[in-house]
Amino acid sequence: MTDTVLQPDTQEIVVDEVFPHAPETIWKTLTTAELMGRWLMMPAGFEPIEGKRFTYQTTPAGDWDGTIHCQVLEVKPNERLTYAWKGGHAGNTGYGSPLDTVVTFILSRAGNGTRLRLVHSGFVLPKNETAYRKMGEGWKKVVKNIGALAGGED
Amino acid sequence: MIQTAPITTIMRALADPTRRAVFEQIVNSDEITVVELTRASTVTQGAVSQHLKALKLAGLVTERPEGRKVYYRAEPEGLAPLVDWMSHYGTFWRERFADLRTLLKEIDP
Repeated sequence: MTDTVLQPDTQEIVVDEVFPHAPETIWKTLTTAELMGRWLMMPAGFEPIEGKRFTYQTTPAGDWDGTIHCQVLEVKPNERLTYAWKGGHAGNTGYGSPLDTVVTFILSRAGNGTRLRLVHSGFVLPKNETAYRKMGEGWKKVVKNIGALAGGED
Repeated sequence: MIQTAPITTIMRALADPTRRAVFEQIVNSDEITVVELTRASTVTQGAVSQHLKALKLAGLVTERPEGRKVYYRAEPEGLAPLVDWMSHYGTFWRERFADLRTLLKEIDP
């Protein structure tokens, strides 16, 4: 078996921005259901406790009812919050297709504010840059989108 | 326009390391025959043919018969479903961050 450099690659989305607010304030927006609902989505059954399962409700697609199943994996108050993010259905392509990913929020002090880094990881893509290059414009657009996310400050 | 395969078919097609190697070979050449693919592989021509079948089903490879030969080429569009889904989330998170900024201004002026 030749199995060199052919591991499937998991891609991640990174959004990294500095906010002029204390880490404690941002932590509240990440871990208080009512506040989460005001910027992200209203969770059902969320508590910032490791192992806790909760859900988000999004737009259904095909055989998927739009439920995102999450489980808290790591809680370090004011520093790091990680949860599993699973959803989708095998019958869908594009939006609504199966997803088995992990969302991590990392907080660190930055001057008088806080750097918040979101990493959404576990998007499985074949490790094959040539394939992406050959995908032409579509792929380039995506890469540009993802590239723009790193520190993308409007 | 080729009908894209369900994302699980694509993932399953690419989960097998030998099949992935075959796909890489095809991607790295403009067109390639089974014989050439087998030469570059550690498995039999029969096995390569089976892998080609799975890749065709997943919409990752197309074939062009010419005389007694069949030429295979990569269909990068086949990866689109994976990419679409990811791109959806790229946009999603960036918009959420903008909403978070607005919320923070409200609760912590």
